[in-house]
Amino acid sequence: MALEYILIVFLIISVIISFGIGANDETMAPLYGSRILKMKQILILAAIFAIAGAVLLGEGVAKSVGDKILLLDYESSGINQNAVVMTILISTAIVLILSSAFGLPISSTHATIGGIIGLGLLLGNGGGVNWSTILEMSIWWLASPIVGFTVTYGVVKLLNKHKLKTLKGFKAFEKSENRYSYIILIIICITAFSRAGNDSSNSVGIVVGVGGDIDIIWLLIITGLGLAIGIIVLGRIVIKNLSQMTDLRPSTAFAVQVPTAAVMLIGTFQSIPLSGSHLLVASLVGLSKANNTPMRKGLGKIIAIWLLTFPIAALLSIVLYFPIDLLL
Amino acid sequence: MKLLKEKKNELYEVNKEFLAETLNASALLHEALSSFTNDKLKKESLKGVIQAEKKCDELKDKFTEVLFRDKRALPFLVEDRFKILMMIDTVNDKMEFFSRFLEVYPFKLYKEIKDEFKILYSACSQAVEELVNCAILIETDFDGAYKKTFEIEEKKREARTAKFNLLGKLYKMKDDPTKVYLTSKLVTYMYDIVSWVEETSDFLRGLIIKYPSK
Repeated sequence: MALEYILIVFLIISVIISFGIGANDETMAPLYGSRILKMKQILILAAIFAIAGAVLLGEGVAKSVGDKILLLDYESSGINQNAVVMTILISTAIVLILSSAFGLPISSTHATIGGIIGLGLLLGNGGGVNWSTILEMSIWWLASPIVGFTVTYGVVKLLNKHKLKTLKGFKAFEKSENRYSYIILIIICITAFSRAGNDSSNSVGIVVGVGGDIDIIWLLIITGLGLAIGIIVLGRIVIKNLSQMTDLRPSTAFAVQVPTAAVMLIGTFQSIPLSGSHLLVASLVGLSKANNTPMRKGLGKIIAIWLLTFPIAALLSIVLYFPIDLLL
Repeated sequence: MKLLKEKKNELYEVNKEFLAETLNASALLHEALSSFTNDKLKKESLKGVIQAEKKCDELKDKFTEVLFRDKRALPFLVEDRFKILMMIDTVNDKMEFFSRFLEVYPFKLYKEIKDEFKILYSACSQAVEELVNCAILIETDFDGAYKKTFEIEEKKREARTAKFNLLGKLYKMKDDPTKVYLTSKLVTYMYDIVSWVEETSDFLRGLIIKYPSK
């Protein structure tokens, strides 16, 4: 197949991957839950930051997929590395799109690792997966929700004790909440911007890997558009679903978002693979417990999909590998 | 930002006007009942109550329009403010209904029940006054508003005692059953006003507890 055609195929797949990642982007959920902005405004903002983040930050963060987990000797075994990478990314995208269609936020890292495990088992004759790394990571996967819950619970309790008690009327309450709404808006925009930069690397990487004469700016714009369309088409369901899990207002959205962002930042600096989705959901549960407000239906489904992410992604990658290998 | 501030100021102004009109209706009703107890019912005062209720309805529509014009960050506060307004508006409706009833009430008040009747309508007008104060205070002073709710509860108790004393006396009367029946209705409708005022103050108390710990 001519390089141009290969590039076009990879570009289409790259857009599908971006779409899947955008579809499962729950960053804006606190903004909708606390009704700081309407859904239409949120989607416009999310689309702008997705494109801006992809274009301005996407180039510098190209990632390798599954280096430490997949133990395959490509040269001696004749396994097509491009097909492996493509299969992992496509299975990840499918899992993300499917879960987004049901409004369920999942960890894209989990979906990717599920795909890697599937291929490792299929192609490595039992020895293709670095289980010790998986075990090490799984400790952090378990820790993510616990950290999110604990930090938000603590922040909400502190806020209730020191801040809310000092508010002596509707007017003071309104003034305070308005202040929080500006802060949370800025924080979420920054998070959306950096997340778009980070997420776009997965889909940009596969096209760059093909080689050839590629205009990287256009590639980043297309990736950003994929993310934005994902958010607009399916991401709205995830945002709506997540934001309705418990009562949110600007100050509690702040209590949910700030610890989530801070813990994620620490995790990034320490190279700890924490999941933003898990942190956010756990933070919402922490908020609900700290405020004694009920959790609405949906938490059970989210936990179920978290547990099912690995096997579904693994199965998908096993099923998709051979047709993709044939194509490439 | 400027627009948001203007909207808020407009909201507070309309609310202030609405509450002032409610207070005016209550004072006019008190005046009418006072004259009624002295067997010289001032029908203009009753008409004043009806007029005030009409004005309150207009202000309510204006308030609702401003309130929901830009429903943003605090929808629960918008909803709560709306509910407070609707509940106070029901107080106005009940005062208006009572006024219309009194307007067509064809008898003079029994001498035997005049004292208890005074207690009932005084408790009624005081309860409405306290409710208006409570609704003003909730904007800036939760503690002050919280105390007011207990004062309203006390007024309701006074009114309840007066109501049953009045009904007890009425039911023992061997007089024209129509007069006894309509007088008992008069008492019941007036008590309904106080009862609703207390229900509104209970709602306000709930909000005062809810907000600082929400």
